[in-house]
Amino acid sequence: MARSAASERGGPRGRDESRFDESRSNDEQADASPPALAIEGVSKRFGDGDDSVLAVDDVSLTVERGSIVGLLGPNGAGKTTLIKCALGIVLPDAGSVRVFGADVGDGRRAAYANVDAMLEGARNDYWRLTVRENLRYFATIAGVDPDSVRARHDRLLDRLELTEKADTPVRELSRGMKQKVSLASVLAGGAELVFLDEPTLGLDVESSRTLRRELRRLAREEGLTIVLSSHDMGVIEDVCDRVVMMANGRIVADDTVAALLTGTDRDVVRVVSADIDDALAASLRERFDVRGVETGLGEGGRDRPGSTAVEVAAAGDALYELMDALREAGVTVEAIETVRPELEDVFVDLTGTEPGAEPRGRSP
Amino acid sequence: MSRDGSAASGSERARSSAPADPADPVDDPRPATYSHLARAVLYREYLIFVRYPANAIGGIVVALFFFGVLFYGGRLLAGQALTDSLSGIIVGYFLWTLSVGAYSSVSNDIGSEVQWGTLERHITTPFGFAPVALLKGVAKVVRTFLTSAVVLAVMLLLTGTRLSLDPITVVPVAGLAITSVLGLGFAAGGVTVLYKRIGNWLNLLQFGFIALISAPVLDAPWTRFLPLAHGSAMLQRAMVDGVRLWEFGLADLALLVAVAVGYLLGGYVVFHYATRRARRLGVLGDY
Repeated sequence: MARSAASERGGPRGRDESRFDESRSNDEQADASPPALAIEGVSKRFGDGDDSVLAVDDVSLTVERGSIVGLLGPNGAGKTTLIKCALGIVLPDAGSVRVFGADVGDGRRAAYANVDAMLEGARNDYWRLTVRENLRYFATIAGVDPDSVRARHDRLLDRLELTEKADTPVRELSRGMKQKVSLASVLAGGAELVFLDEPTLGLDVESSRTLRRELRRLAREEGLTIVLSSHDMGVIEDVCDRVVMMANGRIVADDTVAALLTGTDRDVVRVVSADIDDALAASLRERFDVRGVETGLGEGGRDRPGSTAVEVAAAGDALYELMDALREAGVTVEAIETVRPELEDVFVDLTGTEPGAEPRGRSP
Repeated sequence: MSRDGSAASGSERARSSAPADPADPVDDPRPATYSHLARAVLYREYLIFVRYPANAIGGIVVALFFFGVLFYGGRLLAGQALTDSLSGIIVGYFLWTLSVGAYSSVSNDIGSEVQWGTLERHITTPFGFAPVALLKGVAKVVRTFLTSAVVLAVMLLLTGTRLSLDPITVVPVAGLAITSVLGLGFAAGGVTVLYKRIGNWLNLLQFGFIALISAPVLDAPWTRFLPLAHGSAMLQRAMVDGVRLWEFGLADLALLVAVAVGYLLGGYVVFHYATRRARRLGVLGDY
């Protein structure tokens, strides 16, 4: 639908009508249009003087259309503040945010035409309305005639396994279902960029799997751009094309999941042998970067009972030196393998904290 | 809500809630107009009203209880003096219930939206928050009119009093009178967004409405510029003396409109700056 047509219908001013334009393919839009999200030099400090906290420190980030970007970081890293800055709910002290080319600071109405968000801890919808009533209400608030997206709502309810509860007040649903309704109401208006803060919080394994599947489908088939913040590494690894890690208000890593896993300084090998005793383990610790020692491996595992496993960060020459040291000590190696790092390991390496941990020496 | 603006029937909802056929992706997204927005906001208010009537009924019962105490207690203490001024008291009480309903529903609604995390979604709407807030305010006023009309009817039956109830006069005069209170509600809501715990204290302001409704506008004309005062005086003339809308002087009507619009805009400006400061401080939506 052309912009002029929207104006004739008396719709809100300054809206980007691209989501009503079915004649353009996702590829065409991606080629011709600005990125879904462009954050440039955003900083935000809360409070004054010694008690002030620099929540976001000169962050720049671009998110292309149709991609799913995971935002990771310990509590207080600045993720939620960055998302709120992108939405205009928090005004940054410096920098700019553009959503599909529209500046959130200057023309928020145009920027809001294609954005919605599910923020952590928020109910996000009306519990006294039914599931479907929420979808219709928030589609309207998002600037879409709810009758025109009835089929979309049906599909959303179906894919999120909410069809049977469509006419049930949200207050009567379980916590997991409420969470899914919250997500459905965010997607109800057909926003092209959505921010999801901990979308799987409170969901059981099956519901979480359903939600991941739907997010991937929405990005792949409908070109939805998703910025997803979560402490659940499984969700991030499973769903996201790219991961942005934050610590102390700054971006400390920005790459694909695969690149983060392979590019990290974690060339760790795991050596298993019954000949490794405490003295040898101590000797290895002195000479190498030993990441862990597991003694007395149990019955039923793939390793011989009573064996010891040593994990050593060793690549190139260090790996040969390790082998020499083991040979000199008369160790018969039962197994040796490369340890594939988990995203959580990369997270701990880069941020120095466990996922979900409170920040060190910093206010949230 | 159907396309013609009528509320969706149960069968209509049931049909559309049937499992979608993935092979039948009938989507034709069209922009929502302000008309869609108005219907959505008013329909939501209607649904809450009919689905959860206990809140409305509770408000009516409490209002009638206090009126009963006022009426029977006053008759016991003041006797004929109360009976002579009963019409004025009923009109004043009617306006007070309207004012309290409009003020508290708007300010409490904003507080609730903050708590539920839905305020952000109304602020990040492409329509802009102003029309949404205004429509929500109108919805609250319509709802308050319905409950206050019930209170008025019971008061008249209870006391055997007769008043002029010309809706063409009463609705615009009372509506404009409480529009100024709507502005105060927005201001209080804005302050609540900034300072979450102050909301309950601001509810105490509704007792100040009694003073505004009974303001001595003849002896102290400047009080006409306060919220409610001028509208209250006009409503007394309309309902007690039977003055029709077109029989009021142009200056009176102009002042009624000016006070209503002035306080509504003022309240919205306070709300706007309070939410802007909340965004600056990063406390918008934090509860």
